[in-house]
Amino acid sequence: MSYAISGECCSDASCVAVCPMNSIHPSPGEPGFGTGASLFIDPRTCIDCGACADICPVDAAQPADRSAVEDVQRNAAYFAEQEPLDAMDLDSWGEPSYELWGGGPRRVLVVGAGPAGMYATRELLLRTSAEVTLVDRLEHVGGLVRYGVAPDHPSTKQIIRTFERIVRHDRVRWLPGTDAGELPDEFDAVVHAVGARRSRRLGIVGEEAARTAEEFVAWYNGRPGAPVPADLAGPRAVVVGNGNVALDLARILLSDEQRLRSMQVPAAVRDVLAASGVKEVVLLGRRGPEEAAYTQSALQELLATVGDRVELRYHARPTSWTPEGLTLDDGTTIAAGNLFTAIGFEGQPIDGLPFDPDRGIVPNVRGAVVGRPGHYVAGWIKHGARGGIGVNKACAQETVMTLVSSSRALVSPGS
Amino acid sequence: MNETAQRLLGSASRLSRDPETEIDWDAPVGDGYGMSPEWSTLYGTPYWDELTEAQQRELTRHESASVATTGIWFELILQQLVLRDVYDKPARSAEFQWALTEIADECRHSIMFARATERMVEPAYRPRWPARELGRMFKTVATGESAYAAILVAEEVLDVMQRDWMRDRRVEPLVRTVNHIHVVEESRHMVFAREETRERLAGAGRGRRWVSALVIAIAADMIVSSMVGPAVYANVGLDVDRAVREARRNEHHRSLLRTSCANLMDFLGSLGLLTPAASRVYRRTGLL
Repeated sequence: MSYAISGECCSDASCVAVCPMNSIHPSPGEPGFGTGASLFIDPRTCIDCGACADICPVDAAQPADRSAVEDVQRNAAYFAEQEPLDAMDLDSWGEPSYELWGGGPRRVLVVGAGPAGMYATRELLLRTSAEVTLVDRLEHVGGLVRYGVAPDHPSTKQIIRTFERIVRHDRVRWLPGTDAGELPDEFDAVVHAVGARRSRRLGIVGEEAARTAEEFVAWYNGRPGAPVPADLAGPRAVVVGNGNVALDLARILLSDEQRLRSMQVPAAVRDVLAASGVKEVVLLGRRGPEEAAYTQSALQELLATVGDRVELRYHARPTSWTPEGLTLDDGTTIAAGNLFTAIGFEGQPIDGLPFDPDRGIVPNVRGAVVGRPGHYVAGWIKHGARGGIGVNKACAQETVMTLVSSSRALVSPGS
Repeated sequence: MNETAQRLLGSASRLSRDPETEIDWDAPVGDGYGMSPEWSTLYGTPYWDELTEAQQRELTRHESASVATTGIWFELILQQLVLRDVYDKPARSAEFQWALTEIADECRHSIMFARATERMVEPAYRPRWPARELGRMFKTVATGESAYAAILVAEEVLDVMQRDWMRDRRVEPLVRTVNHIHVVEESRHMVFAREETRERLAGAGRGRRWVSALVIAIAADMIVSSMVGPAVYANVGLDVDRAVREARRNEHHRSLLRTSCANLMDFLGSLGLLTPAASRVYRRTGLL
């Protein structure tokens, strides 16, 4: 027997830190960590102690006899080519690393209460004695975990509870519904963790009539202010994109009323989806399956949930969208009532900070904004819109380390 | 609970460690560090920088021995707590059998720590008097979540340090091995303590939660503050007043402790055990 990690893994690596046998990989620093895929447990060395499951913030680690067969196989397969790591040989473990206390800032502003901002706040509380002011434009913590994770993945949303505890720490001043630009200049450092929410565009004729992942995901998650999508017309919809968000869209679109009822979605969302008449989805990849950004576990889940109602098409470049459907560069047209684009997200420029429009990020060195002392970035606005929720932990650790070791000077939040 | 206990029993049968045979107790002990120097209570203070490397090494050996002694002390308390808790449980239940397995582990660990410290440093350490007396009371009266969460705190605080020390090549090999043995078996004990704490707290009212939270926090404070005392500095030949003063203000050490205990605090927080009163104690102790 052993434990196995399912596809809902958040990769925050808490399990890696508590495994007494060094059985969980890739660990932070190893190749493959931070790419958004799951972590895996080596069944050959796992002693079934359960420490990983106990610590997992999203319940992704489970005993193998309670896990799906595919999950157990995926965990084993990850290690198939490698020799088992001998945990008894202590030199096979990575050396511990330490940061010396550097004085640290007194007052820090964190902008954004999504995963990156929450992990950054947590790191600041742990590594420094600073007072942290945390702001978000919305009323609740969680960001994309609350308003981006699909509602049929409730385990993943459990991490919000951890975030809610962080804002109750007595060194945190939590200001929901606040625009950072309105705060007075009274901070030693500002961490911008504003994410990358805007959907990338295909750049084809008629695209403005399509639904972007940004809008649609926000809508079915009940994000305040999210626009209601135009009529969903069956029987076929096209989703352009090959990431996990595209797969989420396909799964949600094809969920029947019974499945919808099991999800935490607003009643209005349920009604619209149930009445949509979408019976099949064409999932369009502009490149081949080997370049697809989705994880294997997400693909398995989609196929297991919707069966042959989803058609996977690769190497297909759309050229225009009309009421008749989506025309491809080979001249064919896929007849469909709705087009959804989920081809990735990009960051937006932040007032007063430099911006790299090609990568959609604020240029930075290990989290320190280039040319703007006192300003730091964490999360998707720092490294681009890639990686799962927990990857933000390692990212925030790096940023806070950089922050703590930098000189301090008073900086303003909005400049 | 029985399912967890069953799994833990299975895990123990897959891998248990025997310090008696795994460690060559007759091998000569070298002069490596007793713990990762960064974990020293004085690391990062001006006093630390004034010490020669040999003094620093000696200090860490004594600190390590003192921490291990605190470990033994709490393991004794723990064994009594667990024994009292399962006293009238059916012997054939997995929970009962796991509890005795854990006691056997702890018993072996205590002997192992005792022998290792005896080989590392000259004078013997023991926790300060008020801690010993409070411990004596605690092991007699503590029950339910107070007992199991206190066990968890003690195990987890030791565990996070030992995970660093066992991986650190600067640390004396004997200490590294002893720590790894402890880490492996302790991982199961912590799973058990968490499960018991969760279970005992289910349905607890606010009043009981408030009291338990405070009792656990005070136990944590006793454990952490007993780990390295003035005797350690005296035995290494340091200026005790200055060492105690600088150690108390050592923000590096506090941040290390806070970082290491983050998972523990998350767990306590998830059960509503970080009440304002308990949080104040944890902050003073340096865990929050």
